[in-house]
Amino acid sequence: MEHNESANITRKAPAMRRRWGMAIDLDKCTGCGNCAIACAQENNMPIFKDDSDLPKRVTFLDLMKVTNDRDAQYPNVHVAYIPKMCQQCEGNDPSDPKPPCVSVCPVVATDVGDDGVVSQVWSRCIGCRYCQSSCPYEARAFNWWKPRNEGRFQESLNPDVSIASRGTVVKCTFCSHIWKRERDKAVANGELDINAVLYTPACVASCPTGAMVFGDLNDPNSEVSRLSRDRRAFRLVHTIDEKPADEQKRLRGIKNYPNPKVYYLTSQQWIRDMQRFR
Amino acid sequence: MKKIIDYLKNEFNSYSRNIRIALVVLCALVGLFIIFGIQILFWGLGYTDMSNLYPFGQWIIGDLGLVALGGGAFTTGFFLYIFRVEKLEPIINSTVLIGFMCYLFTLVFLVFDIGQPIRAWFGYTYPNWGPHLMPQSMLTEVVWCLTLYFCILFIELIPLPLKHKVLDKIPALHYIGHYMHKLMWIMAAAGTFLSFFHQGSLGGGMWGVLYAKPVWFDPMYFFWVIPAAMGGGTSFMLLCAYIAGKVMKKEVVPIETFHTLARISGVMLIIFLVTNAIHVYTQATIYVPAADRRYVDIFGGYYGLWMVVIEFLFTIAAIVFLNLKKFREQERFFLAGISLGALGVAMSKCTVVLHGSSVPNFPWRPFIGYNPTIQEWSVFLGGLATMVLIYMWAAKYLPLFPHLHKHENEEH
Repeated sequence: MEHNESANITRKAPAMRRRWGMAIDLDKCTGCGNCAIACAQENNMPIFKDDSDLPKRVTFLDLMKVTNDRDAQYPNVHVAYIPKMCQQCEGNDPSDPKPPCVSVCPVVATDVGDDGVVSQVWSRCIGCRYCQSSCPYEARAFNWWKPRNEGRFQESLNPDVSIASRGTVVKCTFCSHIWKRERDKAVANGELDINAVLYTPACVASCPTGAMVFGDLNDPNSEVSRLSRDRRAFRLVHTIDEKPADEQKRLRGIKNYPNPKVYYLTSQQWIRDMQRFR
Repeated sequence: MKKIIDYLKNEFNSYSRNIRIALVVLCALVGLFIIFGIQILFWGLGYTDMSNLYPFGQWIIGDLGLVALGGGAFTTGFFLYIFRVEKLEPIINSTVLIGFMCYLFTLVFLVFDIGQPIRAWFGYTYPNWGPHLMPQSMLTEVVWCLTLYFCILFIELIPLPLKHKVLDKIPALHYIGHYMHKLMWIMAAAGTFLSFFHQGSLGGGMWGVLYAKPVWFDPMYFFWVIPAAMGGGTSFMLLCAYIAGKVMKKEVVPIETFHTLARISGVMLIIFLVTNAIHVYTQATIYVPAADRRYVDIFGGYYGLWMVVIEFLFTIAAIVFLNLKKFREQERFFLAGISLGALGVAMSKCTVVLHGSSVPNFPWRPFIGYNPTIQEWSVFLGGLATMVLIYMWAAKYLPLFPHLHKHENEEH
């Protein structure tokens, strides 16, 4: 009897409509770092006594400080903070997402879901770092040392996120475990439509200025969708977006482009100018 | 125990002074390889200079270089067993042994390089196959091809110890060795088939598919690197046999064999030069501009353009010295030709990894410098030292050079 019920549920389950994305307003970002701390807390980032070796530090969300000119003097110097996490790339065709990091994995430790989120299975990863090399946003981190949460940090570990072992690659998954938790709650209340449940990743929930917005890019009425179409919106070093439509079409015929699902917004031209290599 | 120590002492003292110094240095490197290898395996890759910004380092250069230079084994086998270039017979045992060691130490370096060597078998149990029989991940293809070809090299190697004077006296082993040698063309054909794939995938395809990295992206990269392995690999095989002859102060391989393989190497290097030039041209005019970057900028930094220039200069010089008879037949130009042929291909692997990993992903970031730690140097040089020691042992105790043994028997 139970088996039949579950079979019916599977058959009736509606198709996934969600395509999660994020918009970050750099004009509102104060660089407080709350997002980075919330991310580290939520995702059980290892914390060492000495974390000064930045290129080897394990973090999903990197708060990049950029300036218009290192040698500029006040009042001509401008500074901005760019919260950078996995940009959840999808390649040229969103209906058949091909992030640069997924196809390269030799052991299928990373995959892209039908909600567009690029996942990573820590316990499947062999640590070849090929995905790290393929990522244009340096969004993937490798556990160079055995992960530790020293002192009383162990008591605050999140039971929903597994702790990675040494020698594996880890990455931001838009806190997809929170979505799973919310869905489980909804199912317990009788809600079976997977698309009915929304959620908020830890970084977005912790932002004190409301600079980070998360939601469904497939829903034209969602705030994130509206912000992605804003004239202030741009994507990180994705300068193909600035080209005319026919030129974009020609270029996409030559090669795939990352097409990330994280949008940044700014009214400061120098930040947009900085996205260009030439 | 005392007997063993005395035997080793006598054995050591039987060598010339230069060989004794070389043995001490090589054994010291092997010692460091063991010490730091244990440290890396048990305490992690934190002891290397690789980082989240520079994830591939010296061992990957070693892997690429060894597989490309080991490619001389399949090329020599292909010309000997399939095209019946009999003049290559005197060098085939040496090339098969070098090829086998190159692949063996590629796998050894990979074990050190991956973060979870204990899960290395996942490559076989959870391979990333795409639709049909095409592997989705180039590394999946590399893992399978490398393993299968390593097995083939192992089978190709079996007749070598069986020809040892003690084993050869046992009739069963004599016939097994004899008929395996006769049927070796099957292995040579299978090896060539597999080698074409993994030379292409590890040397080029693996990098060419990274569409978000303009320093590497080139859909045809897979094909450019196959002649590189055939040309540079054969030069390397010649260089090893040449050095062995100089050290042993004997003619280990007849001069015609050297010249025949040198001509093959020279022709392959011409194909490598042309295809490499096309690769640079397509990158500079199509793929790098498509990513909104300039070739001269992307090949700036600490490594970059000067390495590409050296790569081309070495290849051109090797082509001249190996293809023109008047140079090839002069020993010093011949030596320069085979050395530069192998170095040109090795340099191309340095350009791919050393420079490719250093290119910044954001316009506000500088190029990244990479300074391998003592652990990385020890594992790398210790691995190479082990290969040299195995080769020296095989040259002394196994019929590595049939030409030499034939002459020695005739003298007796």
